[in-house]
Amino acid sequence: MLLYLPIAEIPVDPLVIIAMGAAVGFLSGMFGVGGGFLMTPLLIFYGIPPAVAVGTEASQIVASSVSGVLAHLKRKTVDFQIGGFLVIGGAAGSGVGILIFRALRESGQVETLISVSYVVFLGIIGALMMIESARALLRAPNQKRRARKRRSPAWMAALPFAMRFRTSGLYISPIPPIILGAFVGMLAAMMGVGGGFIMVPVMLYILNMPTNVVVGTSLFQIIFVTAITTVLHAAANQTVDIVLALLLITGGVIGAQLGARAGVKLKAEHLRALLALIVLAVCARLLIDLALPPASLFILEAAS
Amino acid sequence: MRVLLAALLIFCAAAPARAADIEIAFTDDQVAVDTGFAGVRLTLFGAVTGVEAPAATTDIVSVIEGPAATFKIRRMEKSNLIWTPGRARLIENAPGLFHIYATRAVDDIAPLPMQAAYRLEADLLGFTVNQSLSENSGANQETEETTRFRRAFLTQAQALGLYRARAAGVEYKKGALFTIDVDLPANTPVGDYAVSVFLFRDGELLGSDTASLTVNKVGVERRIFELAHNRPVSYGVFCVALSLFAGWIAAFAFRK
Repeated sequence: MLLYLPIAEIPVDPLVIIAMGAAVGFLSGMFGVGGGFLMTPLLIFYGIPPAVAVGTEASQIVASSVSGVLAHLKRKTVDFQIGGFLVIGGAAGSGVGILIFRALRESGQVETLISVSYVVFLGIIGALMMIESARALLRAPNQKRRARKRRSPAWMAALPFAMRFRTSGLYISPIPPIILGAFVGMLAAMMGVGGGFIMVPVMLYILNMPTNVVVGTSLFQIIFVTAITTVLHAAANQTVDIVLALLLITGGVIGAQLGARAGVKLKAEHLRALLALIVLAVCARLLIDLALPPASLFILEAAS
Repeated sequence: MRVLLAALLIFCAAAPARAADIEIAFTDDQVAVDTGFAGVRLTLFGAVTGVEAPAATTDIVSVIEGPAATFKIRRMEKSNLIWTPGRARLIENAPGLFHIYATRAVDDIAPLPMQAAYRLEADLLGFTVNQSLSENSGANQETEETTRFRRAFLTQAQALGLYRARAAGVEYKKGALFTIDVDLPANTPVGDYAVSVFLFRDGELLGSDTASLTVNKVGVERRIFELAHNRPVSYGVFCVALSLFAGWIAAFAFRK
């Protein structure tokens, strides 16, 4: 059975798309990551035009982040103040990202941009995760990691407009969260990712936010920013395929449930090493596709 | 289909003394691109009149021409480690789809000037290859470079199924009746198609006929496409609303 996608304008096998959504959903449920950074390359490997893959992925992340944020809202582990500044930055970053995306799309370079930025990000993240999990695996099992000391980040309080953030118990300037939000918003627009994989470590280690509010606050930002990104992609590039998105969402929610159950049975270090391997494999495949001579020397597209 | 064949048979029998001519009809002249569309095979029926044993002495060439379109073509270039697309050339005034179905190779049926006059050969269509929108110098210089892009365009369009030349695409059925299987690909352009058929004998044109064909997007698929292109902001908001709803439903369904 084939299903004709209205915006991608190609026929796809809906079962394959649902299965891909489920596979990535499984991984994201298991590892507690968003999965956008795996979904977009997979869609491109399947033959979805990269621009449509990025635009559509933004709307899928909206859906997959909702259930997560609802749980955090209930537990009151969302810092709305910092979240708000992240969203402000994110909206601006997303706007800039869309402009760059659109300009590159007109000059035909957007697919190269998407592939190259994925190679860079997946390469760095995969390598870091690999090193981290190798260290964790080598460390003696009963030797506990030293508890992280939350120092007050003095330089951030020295920046203008410093204010108190109650939920996080911080006294810092809103400028660092705005910059972080803007960077992640740009990534959302240009790569079709939520950006949690960048935001969470920065919130933990640079902003020094408490661990319990980090994930909820990042999900809060991701929902708003990917929603804005979806509308902007739809308006500027007409690259959001709602049929494709719904197929991915369907597979994603099922996969995430199964993944969350499977994740409990595995050790955190093993999980991280496994995810690092997957990330590096996707990175390698993208790099090979970029470096090998293309199957056809010419590319033809309809000009609108 | 049977009725049509019977009608054609009666028509042929009733007019045996007419000058040589050719007639065609589609079983269905509307193609609906819907959610399940993955390309379609259409059958074009036709009859040759006023010729004794047409299968042995005459040749048929049929041309299916889609609405005029503009294409962008780029050449992949190696820059340092990776391959990137180079600057685009615009292919203008080319048919969005161009299929030729004939009884044998068109070169053996009609001389080149006739192929050009009746648009029987993709290479003779006279579409233009331009540097880009801004650098259109007006003069259509046929340089080595534009020739290369013209050839590449034809190769790529064939690979996509948009352009095709089938030398054995016309099949004589009973006596003067023939059928042509027209295979439209999944990415066939939307719009009005011109269909023509030519009857040749020894390089001379004996007769011709035309038919029309319309390809339309229909159903949900059409609504989504039109909404996304005509009211993109509303469409974007709609996508977000739907995603939020789907996420909420999922959270609700798997609530512990």
